[in-house]
Amino acid sequence: MLEINNLKSRIGDAEILHGLSLSVKAGEVHAIMGPNGSGKSTLAQVIAGHDDYEVTSGTVTFNGKDLLALAPEERARAGIFLGFQYPVEIPGVNNAYLLKAAVNAKRKHQGLGEVDAFEFLKLAREKMATLGMDPKFLNRGVNEGFSGGEKKRNEILQMAMLEPTLAILDETDSGLDIDALKAVAQGVNALRSPERAIILVTHYQRLLDYIQPDQVHVLSQGRIVRSGDKSLALELEERGYDWVREAANQ
Amino acid sequence: MKPAALSIDDLREVVRQLPDNGLASSREIALAHLDEHGLPTLRDEDWKYTDLSALVDISNRWLASGAQREPSGTTGNAIRRITDSIDATWLVIVNGAIDEQTDGTLQDGSIEVSRFSDAPAPFVLERPLADLNAALLQDGLRLRVAGPLQKPIGILVFDRAGTATGVTQSCVDIDIAPGASAEIIEYHVSDGDEDHYANSVIALNIGGDATVKHVRIQNRSIRHVQTGRTSIALGKNANLSMASYDLGGRLIRNDIDIDLSQPGADVAFDGLYLAGDGQHIDNHTRVDHRVGPATSSQEYRGILNGACRCVWNGKAIVHKGADGTDASQANHNLLLSEKAEIDAKPELEIYAEDVKCSHGTTVGQLDETALFYLRSRGLDKRHATQVLTHAFAAGLVQRAPVAIVRKTITGIVQERLAQLIKADFDAELLS
Repeated sequence: MLEINNLKSRIGDAEILHGLSLSVKAGEVHAIMGPNGSGKSTLAQVIAGHDDYEVTSGTVTFNGKDLLALAPEERARAGIFLGFQYPVEIPGVNNAYLLKAAVNAKRKHQGLGEVDAFEFLKLAREKMATLGMDPKFLNRGVNEGFSGGEKKRNEILQMAMLEPTLAILDETDSGLDIDALKAVAQGVNALRSPERAIILVTHYQRLLDYIQPDQVHVLSQGRIVRSGDKSLALELEERGYDWVREAANQ
Repeated sequence: MKPAALSIDDLREVVRQLPDNGLASSREIALAHLDEHGLPTLRDEDWKYTDLSALVDISNRWLASGAQREPSGTTGNAIRRITDSIDATWLVIVNGAIDEQTDGTLQDGSIEVSRFSDAPAPFVLERPLADLNAALLQDGLRLRVAGPLQKPIGILVFDRAGTATGVTQSCVDIDIAPGASAEIIEYHVSDGDEDHYANSVIALNIGGDATVKHVRIQNRSIRHVQTGRTSIALGKNANLSMASYDLGGRLIRNDIDIDLSQPGADVAFDGLYLAGDGQHIDNHTRVDHRVGPATSSQEYRGILNGACRCVWNGKAIVHKGADGTDASQANHNLLLSEKAEIDAKPELEIYAEDVKCSHGTTVGQLDETALFYLRSRGLDKRHATQVLTHAFAAGLVQRAPVAIVRKTITGIVQERLAQLIKADFDAELLS
């Protein structure tokens, strides 16, 4: 589904990804771990299409299509969802408005009509209930005054409504208490299916207790230096990142 | 540059021919003030960003052509569209003349309405352009609010320039009795293909412990010029919430003077201005804190796109002895075009000791991070721009102090913003 080949990317003069390759198939859950500054968030932003990151070489294809040629909104409509590490507060834009606009943008791309307002609200409330979110959040400004945990739940709500083919969750687990972590994990697990893939970008093994990954990759200095199954995450937890870094430098 | 001068001889002649309705002494005082001071020019500190040539040109042409007035009777439908859509007690001034049907049929016993000519007493604000207003005023409205009102008071100033260049004056003197409360809607609209200059004066005297909520909407034709002075005095522990929405007009200048000479007064006022190609919108506010404790806070926001210029100048003077003053000012601007210009100037003059004053001014473009966030959710760039532009204005629209007029304001702002950024109208934004 997602094929990344020898990807190099920089922001300003600083090259952050130094030739990264990754292959994600439908039905799989991949975890990308690594220390601060290793390029995890850059990878997530590049896949979503952020302008600040310039791709200097390499290819990214999504279901055979050249992803790098698409604008961020086209990637979203094609089925890519990025759960932000720092969801943006947008006072003055109603949360329900954004959800509906996002769903309708995708439906339009699929040649479908606009979502029925009643059905939309019903579905949004159902999803919110499973995430433990108060329905009042629908009428608040997007992420406006939300706590860290509420913002992350709101990202998962957007994901649940958009039903992406490929979801990338950038440190969605950071700063969450155990209840929020469980709610987020439940939201992610509910999305798992043979047609979809999920990439979890995370610092900690903790999230992987709730979402079982098929593969774990360790990113260091802009490259994947080690890949393995779930046991790699446990090993990392025990031995720290220095171990991988040293192994990579040898 | 030599500023264009008003033809004072033509003005005298036109004033001389106004009906003798007891306003002669006001007109004399006003003419004398104008004679001495002239109209403000770019050399005056308070007027340095706003060139009044267009206004002088329109006025001189109108004066020279014998001060024609638009024939009455063609404006009824346009006026009814507004007065029928907002449930208020309406007073209407059409082309500078008080509409008899409105002030003659008032149902609300808490309002007493009269005209300046009913009990003539000189009424002249000796301030720039307010003097011109008093010189040319046909008649003014005087409102006395004694108790709780059944409905908000609506003051509609409607001008049509359909047949010739027009110049019109409106003046309303409002007195809110101690302890009373009132909601006031001031609505300025114009249409017509000819040039027009409208000049308004509002004096608002708020008694002790009284509460006033005031909304001012200016949605004039993009061809027309308006200047307005709002002069407000608050009594002890009086409370004022006010908001201004400037959505149309070619050259707009608003002066708001607020005088706090009694302790315990609390004033909060907002202003939203939306400007596109060829527009110039200037907001000058001045708050005189003469005693403390008292609070004033203002927040002005502007959205500018195309070749246009806006001015915000917020002055707060904390006079000697006005301890316990709390004055805050904020002005935020969204510039969507390199051709748009904003002059933002906070001015704090503090002569007292125990005071709390703050000001903040920002000028910027749309937040790139927010734009990316919206696009990453599938909204195209134009839609994302539209959403963020509306969001910038939303707070000031949603907290319009007079609740029943919020829907109207929301509609006009949505429409104007869609025009400004060339986007489709989206009725769900701002709601």
